[in-house]
Amino acid sequence: MSGNALSDIELLMRGVREPLDIGEARWERLLRIARASGLHARLAAANLAKATTTDVVRRHLLSSARIAAYRAQMVRAELFHLTPLVTDDFPVIVLKGGAYILQGRALAEGRFVSDVDLLVPNEHLRPMESRLRAAGWQPEKLDPYDERYYRDWSHETPPMRFPGHSLEVDLHHAITPVTGSLAFDPASLFERSEAIPGTPFRVLCAEDQVLHACLHCFHDGELDLRVREVVDIDGLLRTFAAHKGFWDRLEARAAELGLQRPLWYGLHFARNWLDCPVPSAVSDALPAPHTLSRAAMAALVPLAMLPPDPDFPPPLRVRVARTLMRTRYHLLRMPLHLLLPHLARKTLRRLKARLDHRTEAPSEDGAP
Amino acid sequence: MTEIAYRLLDVGAARLAVASPIEGFHAHLDRIYPHHEPIADPAFADVRVALLPRSRWRVRGRQVVLWADGQRPFEPYPYDCALPLFEWGSNYLLSQRLNAYLLLHAGVVARGDRALILPAAPGSGKTTLTCALHLAGWRFLSDEFGVIDMDSGELLPMVRPAPLKNRSIDVIGTRPGAVLGPLFPKTRKGDVSHFVPDRDSFLARHRRATPALVVFPRFQAGAALQCTPVHRAQAVMRIGLNSFNYQALGPLGFQAAVALARRTAAFELVYGDLDDAIAHIETLFGEVS
Repeated sequence: MSGNALSDIELLMRGVREPLDIGEARWERLLRIARASGLHARLAAANLAKATTTDVVRRHLLSSARIAAYRAQMVRAELFHLTPLVTDDFPVIVLKGGAYILQGRALAEGRFVSDVDLLVPNEHLRPMESRLRAAGWQPEKLDPYDERYYRDWSHETPPMRFPGHSLEVDLHHAITPVTGSLAFDPASLFERSEAIPGTPFRVLCAEDQVLHACLHCFHDGELDLRVREVVDIDGLLRTFAAHKGFWDRLEARAAELGLQRPLWYGLHFARNWLDCPVPSAVSDALPAPHTLSRAAMAALVPLAMLPPDPDFPPPLRVRVARTLMRTRYHLLRMPLHLLLPHLARKTLRRLKARLDHRTEAPSEDGAP
Repeated sequence: MTEIAYRLLDVGAARLAVASPIEGFHAHLDRIYPHHEPIADPAFADVRVALLPRSRWRVRGRQVVLWADGQRPFEPYPYDCALPLFEWGSNYLLSQRLNAYLLLHAGVVARGDRALILPAAPGSGKTTLTCALHLAGWRFLSDEFGVIDMDSGELLPMVRPAPLKNRSIDVIGTRPGAVLGPLFPKTRKGDVSHFVPDRDSFLARHRRATPALVVFPRFQAGAALQCTPVHRAQAVMRIGLNSFNYQALGPLGFQAAVALARRTAAFELVYGDLDDAIAHIETLFGEVS
């Protein structure tokens, strides 16, 4: 299929799913925006087998595919090391990338995983943390403020790492910030979770995996260049679409957990950007966000999430959109009376760090 | 948006494209890439970056930023150090992207198409020794990247200027035939000046070489020359340690390192005098030929 008439973004969205037939110069631009958004190995997964790519393009696809394979191997190794710590007294759920790898999902191929996320019931968070510490995992050094922030307001513990391992382990007790408006009791996540045969780990059920991906994409963290999370949502939906009754269960579950809003956005952007085959009966049945929110999201999400022209620094409108979306995230996460002091404190500290910091050259020996 | 005028540099195993409005940077590039003819067609580049100045009103001096694919992977440098930022930054980006090859952290020189590989940790004098060997008549393939095609075991040249640091600048600069670029005093790594490989090496930048000898060099001030054979199994491990991507390549990297150690003899060379080291390497190389 010739792609020369398509925009870079359209081409990228097609290239993560099917082989492309484009020239070298076009490939170079595509690889650049794919790298910027962490999708280059997805591009490789869909295009490496194609015989018509030139040697130089193939080399880059091969390079990213190898790094992704290595990172996936590191995830498997980390989970292997964690195995003895998971006993049958309480369930341990592997979230997101680690789960997709354990389940051998198609979307795991070429998907970069940067940490291992585990979900345990709230009352077992401390015991699990102690187990990790006793086995040699060490928490990141934090000042008392950040420590308290994590404990009281976040849904995870500070990241832990086993000395010498490349991946961090994040322990969660919920999949929403506890101070946010979407917070819900995670008990049913455990009830519906599924065992992974041959491992002591569990994963979220299909519907919860989709809802978590939507929640994570649109309600947890900044949106900068996070189009890859929409690619995840699309990948999950395409996988589950074939399961009988999946869409009905998804709708019911979103209503039960009060996650219709993130699901609406997830379905909307997966369909708009990736032609995700969402039955219109499903998206029509979801309560749509207010026209104003919808218009704002339609304008801001593409600017913040999609990679801009790689030849230039991000233009002002992109920077503004990213800042606005970051503001939205903070507001969703905690009420203003908690948020403002928190941000003020962070800003003061950053200013202080900048004043203390005399040299601004990078360390030339390690990673930047 | 307007087209950007990129300057393309074909260095052998990779092509670089760079754009910058900073005139001094282009003058510097001309000096350390003197053999490069302008490449007209907008060919594929492995690394494409822009070096853009930041605000001229900054209190502690103007800075330059390296932009790659709409992102700034590194901290800014002082405005007049765009060249070291480009050289170091583009090498870093290459090291992330060339995993189609086994990438050794090594100097590589050759007699004809028979290559001597000098894998070493930073600070071992690898760049200095590579430049000195080149000035003694060896073909320059790289002072930083041993690019190995894992299918054939051959080495691909990556003919880029070699960043000499501090005392090495004089050590190499005073040798007959040495061409050095501008001096950048007091960078993060001390004084830096780039050694320019000769025209013949540049013209041969697409000619692959076959590994013939591996020497792990270590400069030690005042040390008497000491050369010890490195056992094959040991050589594999040391090749792996001195590689950018040995670990990431998994079994492929292991097989490539084993293949390299099987086809070449390996030695460790501790030296205090550069000319002694060159003479000894010539002898070793004569023996394996």
